[in-house]
Amino acid sequence: MDTQTLIDNAVENGQKALSEFDSKKILAAYGIPVSQEYLASDAKEAVQKAEEIGYPVVMKACSHEIAHKTEGGLVEISLNSTEEMKAAFERILTKTDTPLDGILVQEMVAGKRELMLGLVRDPQFGPCVMVGFGGIMTEIIKDTCFRMAPVDEIEALDMLEEFKSKDLLGPFRGNAPVDKKNLCNAISAIGKIGLENDDISEIDINPLIIRSDGTFAAVDALIVIGRGTK
Amino acid sequence: MITEINQSPLYSIANPKSIAFFGASNNFSAMGSNIFQSIFDLGFEGELYPVHPKEENVQGYKAYRDIMDLPVVPDLVIFVLPTRLICDTMEACGKKGIKHAIVVTAGFREVGGEGLALEEKLKGIAQKYGIRFAGPNCLGVVNTHKKLNTTFLNMEGKPGFIGLASQSGSLVTQMFNYLAELGVGFSTAFSIGNGASVDLVDCLEYLGACPDTKVIGMYVEGIDRGREFVEVARAVSLKKPIVALYVGGSETGRKATFSHTGSMAGPDKLYDGILRQSGVIRARSITELFDYCRILGELPVPQGNRIAIQTHSGGPGAAAADACGREGLELPNFPQETIDAISEFIPQTGSINNPVDLTYSKDQKAFFMGIPDALLRSDVVDMLLMYYLVPDRMLKEALGQIGNSEADDENQNMDVLNDYVAYMAQMLRQHKKPLVGFTFRNLSEIFPQALMANGIPIFSSPEQGVRALKSLVTYSRLNQKIQLQEKNLAS
Repeated sequence: MDTQTLIDNAVENGQKALSEFDSKKILAAYGIPVSQEYLASDAKEAVQKAEEIGYPVVMKACSHEIAHKTEGGLVEISLNSTEEMKAAFERILTKTDTPLDGILVQEMVAGKRELMLGLVRDPQFGPCVMVGFGGIMTEIIKDTCFRMAPVDEIEALDMLEEFKSKDLLGPFRGNAPVDKKNLCNAISAIGKIGLENDDISEIDINPLIIRSDGTFAAVDALIVIGRGTK
Repeated sequence: MITEINQSPLYSIANPKSIAFFGASNNFSAMGSNIFQSIFDLGFEGELYPVHPKEENVQGYKAYRDIMDLPVVPDLVIFVLPTRLICDTMEACGKKGIKHAIVVTAGFREVGGEGLALEEKLKGIAQKYGIRFAGPNCLGVVNTHKKLNTTFLNMEGKPGFIGLASQSGSLVTQMFNYLAELGVGFSTAFSIGNGASVDLVDCLEYLGACPDTKVIGMYVEGIDRGREFVEVARAVSLKKPIVALYVGGSETGRKATFSHTGSMAGPDKLYDGILRQSGVIRARSITELFDYCRILGELPVPQGNRIAIQTHSGGPGAAAADACGREGLELPNFPQETIDAISEFIPQTGSINNPVDLTYSKDQKAFFMGIPDALLRSDVVDMLLMYYLVPDRMLKEALGQIGNSEADDENQNMDVLNDYVAYMAQMLRQHKKPLVGFTFRNLSEIFPQALMANGIPIFSSPEQGVRALKSLVTYSRLNQKIQLQEKNLAS
């Protein structure tokens, strides 16, 4: 299914959001690196996909109706074997009544540094892009910068310059500096998604994890559906 | 984007040759009468046509019963009438053929309820007749170079170079005296109130093209045409600096959000980034807004962020150095040639490091001429901040010291003082590097007044001076960034 159809279907179904799996398809289509993942319909398939990806893996409940999974205990991390996979699968199913698209089996992206990228629509400025300190402390640290889309590479670099936690992006405790060019491309891409898709009102990518080699991937993502004001 | 001010809908509002006036009478306590008086007090050179239902003349001007009775179609009409009369009067002015108005009257969108509908009605009438207007709920305009002041306070001070676009009327009308003491003034200042017809973006375009305006200040509560604002501000900022004081919270239509990004996109953070993207320097207070405006309007942009500090007192110098650290300005070490050039002026107890500290200056000539000249000449110095303490008594002693035995003579005092000031102004021109001073003495004293009158900004604290210098560095960086972006777009 192409990205436009994904969005159109969501609008037609009256969905408030896309599932994580579908959200990442949109991000990937715009060149934003996302974690490697598959949607499994049963435990057997989940195990099979985990072996393809390679342990350890992460399992998550996947549905457009579940926006915040961690709070509901619907994320299982550091799964290392068939037995652990099966047990985690059962645990997730007992914790939710929401009909699921399936269980997401995901590469476990290793990295100490977490960012957040996002999109919001302002009634006056239209689509605006955010980069911020990511992870569960996002709303405590409140280190964010915004720009109106479009955001070119120079503007994206300036956002990273303005970012208070910018030292995270340099060499950090034995980790390589982040691939800045690609990070800027990802920031620009968020703006492009906002400009090209009026039915997407907001985006959260949190966390975007930076690996020790400086590459990064969107590990969780949420695309909110709704007509923007501009 | 306009290139000449006469292409702007604000042109006739700021440069009228004739004005019709509703709401002035011979009752001097009325706001309309006050505003009318401000107009002729400043010596407005065009025609004034008060319209009044009963009076034969208003404050010495022949009054007209009806707008239709005016012998000409005036360039501008000003309304200071009760709210209920505005729409009908606007309609009558439209029939007369008037194309520009200032609606001082309040009681529209800002009061909510019926005010919203009334403002829409007013806009409709204006559109029907092709009228562009400032307001409602505003104080109009001050164009010092055209002797126009439509505010209720007397204009004080001289015509200046600060253009202002304000969503607060007070910032236009209540700053005359404050700015005059700092040796600066407005070129043209707009109070646009509700911005129903002309808004901040129109003001920015006008001031960008205005030849009397060297720097643009803005007081912003909310921007309605956001995307146009960014585009216009970026273009204007390449020609002249823009400084904005944003005090948020008045945006309408902000929706509840579902995402974390949305919950973190408070207007303050959003405007912070978007102003920077627009090439606009953000001020954090009214004082800072005008500090930045005067330094950006007076001084050249520095080549880098390296600063020399000169002082004859340890504390203020150290406080200035500390402020530089916080603002990201760098204090370089001086090369040998600079040290050689200044060491003859520095006493044993002083310091030739940065900050250069004389501890006590016996020789005022060295302090105001020799040392700053050598520092500004140095390749490692991009700008200079001087702390000085020159009470009038010290000034007299210094004059005596350089052989002026008639130091008590006021005129001769002034001559020598003017020599210092002229020399400093000349250094500014010669080295093309920013030079500012700070002092805790009252800025109304002779010496700071003379310096400021000659284009050397003086501040009342080291922090103010350093932050103002930083605004020059910020302007230069934002400007370079936008130029690079434009170049990439073109290629």
